[in-house]
Amino acid sequence: MGEAPAHRDDGLRKPWGTIVAFLLPAVTIYVALTAYPAVRTLWNSFHKVLPRRDEYVGLANYVELAGDEIFWKAVRNTIVWACTSPLVEVSVAMLLALALYAKVPGARFFRVAWFTPVLMSYVVVGILWLWIYNYDWGPVNAALRALGLGALAHPWLGDPATALPSLIFVTSWMWTGFNMVVLLAALHSLPREVIEAAELDNCGWGGKLVFVILPLTRATVLNLIVLSFIGKMKIFDLVWITTKGNPLWATETVSTYVYKRAFEWTTFDLGYPSTIATVWFVIVLTTVLAMTWAFRRREKLEF
Amino acid sequence: MRVGGRSALVAISLGVLAWAAAAAQAKELTFWSHWAAELPKREFVEAVIKEFEAKNPGTTIKATWYEKTALYAGLKTALRAGQAPDIFYAEPDQAEYMDNGFLLDLSGLDWSKVEPWAKEAWTHKGKPYGLPLEAWTMELYYNTKMMEGLGVQVPDNRQMSPDAFMDMVKKAKAKGITPMALGVGDRPYPGAHLTHEALVKRLGTDDYDKLLRGKLPWTDPRVVDTLKWIRSLTEAGLLPNTFSTLKLAEAHVYFHTNPGALTFLNGSWYTSRAFNPVDKGGQPKDFPLGIMQFPAVPGAVCNECRTIAIGGSYVANAETKNRKEVLAFLGTFLSQEVGNRWLEKVQVQTGIKTDASKVKDTQAAAYFSMIEKTNAGAKYYFGIPIQVMTGKPKEVYIQVFNNAFPAGIISVEDAVKQQAAAY
Repeated sequence: MGEAPAHRDDGLRKPWGTIVAFLLPAVTIYVALTAYPAVRTLWNSFHKVLPRRDEYVGLANYVELAGDEIFWKAVRNTIVWACTSPLVEVSVAMLLALALYAKVPGARFFRVAWFTPVLMSYVVVGILWLWIYNYDWGPVNAALRALGLGALAHPWLGDPATALPSLIFVTSWMWTGFNMVVLLAALHSLPREVIEAAELDNCGWGGKLVFVILPLTRATVLNLIVLSFIGKMKIFDLVWITTKGNPLWATETVSTYVYKRAFEWTTFDLGYPSTIATVWFVIVLTTVLAMTWAFRRREKLEF
Repeated sequence: MRVGGRSALVAISLGVLAWAAAAAQAKELTFWSHWAAELPKREFVEAVIKEFEAKNPGTTIKATWYEKTALYAGLKTALRAGQAPDIFYAEPDQAEYMDNGFLLDLSGLDWSKVEPWAKEAWTHKGKPYGLPLEAWTMELYYNTKMMEGLGVQVPDNRQMSPDAFMDMVKKAKAKGITPMALGVGDRPYPGAHLTHEALVKRLGTDDYDKLLRGKLPWTDPRVVDTLKWIRSLTEAGLLPNTFSTLKLAEAHVYFHTNPGALTFLNGSWYTSRAFNPVDKGGQPKDFPLGIMQFPAVPGAVCNECRTIAIGGSYVANAETKNRKEVLAFLGTFLSQEVGNRWLEKVQVQTGIKTDASKVKDTQAAAYFSMIEKTNAGAKYYFGIPIQVMTGKPKEVYIQVFNNAFPAGIISVEDAVKQQAAAY
């Protein structure tokens, strides 16, 4: 009787050596490459960080940031991008996925063709669309001229009114295929019996879409929206390749502004760019948590 | 056997010692430079490196070639981490290098071989920090045949009046020719050439300097009037419709090859791209190149004022462990013979004292003769605005006066207001 608890303790004793051995590599990498840079960025934001010397400046960087017009332009552009692009991408992707699900003629070809843009890097995509938007000989203006709509020909990336929408269109074009493939997989995994039950109830295509398919794919759609939103909040490559934030900061994003402040302004100070990064991290994190909370009330999200 | 074994041991020991001594003497200097794609400059520097290595056995230079943006980004992190090369490319506007003590004082070089104004450009708190290899002036290039075809005469002093220049723009536009090839797709300065060349003439060098440093308001009526004059030129169709996205290399090709423009406002380093072989973006072999001055500006106090700048230079890392070798290498550039070789090969001015009359290449000689004529009697301002400005004024200047203002997407009043608010 008296020995039984001792046996239980032996059985429950955790193999700490093994646990540490397995966790250590991952924890080391996480601490070195994620946790430390994040904490250091926060620390930098309260300092003027110059080579060989750091100078504590308290909240001065945050005060300067609050009055930094360029930063707020970049915030506005990034938020517009992050709010519009996911909706366009996911809704068009759903239409394309439904077309493939319904096995339209040439479905196999279209699946590959629509997915191809996501296989290209932003550098290639950027150069490609610089050509497409070229004023003199780009296909967009050439098509307009061929249709007798030459008056609508436009320097698409050179006008503050059209530059950002033009780039948003590019990211939507690029990522719609990815969303389409994920949604197509979700459509194929829908429970067959539910679809058949709807068909037995004389439910047409529209009815099946609204009352069966969309509700059942809701979690996937929401996951895609959140993922796309996060991606657009960090957008850098495409802007850097095409416009570098021009004209008049019309395409400036927070990421491009951080890079400019860190590496292109004639200063070595990393404190102010760290402040921008910190504030933006808080904004992105808060927004994603809010979206997760809002969506989770009805669906479980995984990303 | 025993004796043989000892001998072998001694021989091996001596060999090891000799190897160790040689290894201790052998030094490798690291060298990072822009101009990966500008072959004449690169070949010139590579020749100097070989010359230095031949004169200094045991010391080698490990050169790495970059494009400027990548080089600058790499240097910023390398300098901070204490891993910067011994010698690297820089331009005089990079005062942050000197402010943070990253550059070696180059007082030990023979500065009598350098033009005083070029040394001045690299002098910070009384000490010289850079070898001013490349120097350039703002030039207005034109296609002489196209100009003749339009019936436009370039005056003997090579400077058109404001009215004549506007007439030229209108005539070119009427014939479907782009009057001036300029593009800001990948550079923060070409679009601003129009503004700064006009303003330095209108204000004179002293007031112009005050303007750039925020000591003269951008709302000054002289500034506003000059910008309105520039706006009248852009509204008359001075620039290509692709101005906003046209890259520097493309602007060169736009001017001399396809579709062909009447003029091209550029630094005198035009040659480093245009004098390349045609298949590497160079101008056609028989291209009728002419150079004139930027036009006279209405109300100008100094129509002979113009910009001169020091471009590509070499500096040394303050933390180098090879100071003596670094100074010796930089010193290799400092002779009239090497300077003349730069003129001949690169066909751009240099801060090293040279004798252009000794240039043998006919194309280069003709080019420098034209440069000499357009610069006769010139009064110089040193540096383009982005080399003088820093921080927010510089960022706003790039966005407003390099991009938006010449593109016609911002009014004169808004441009002035935004720039004034940046100081």
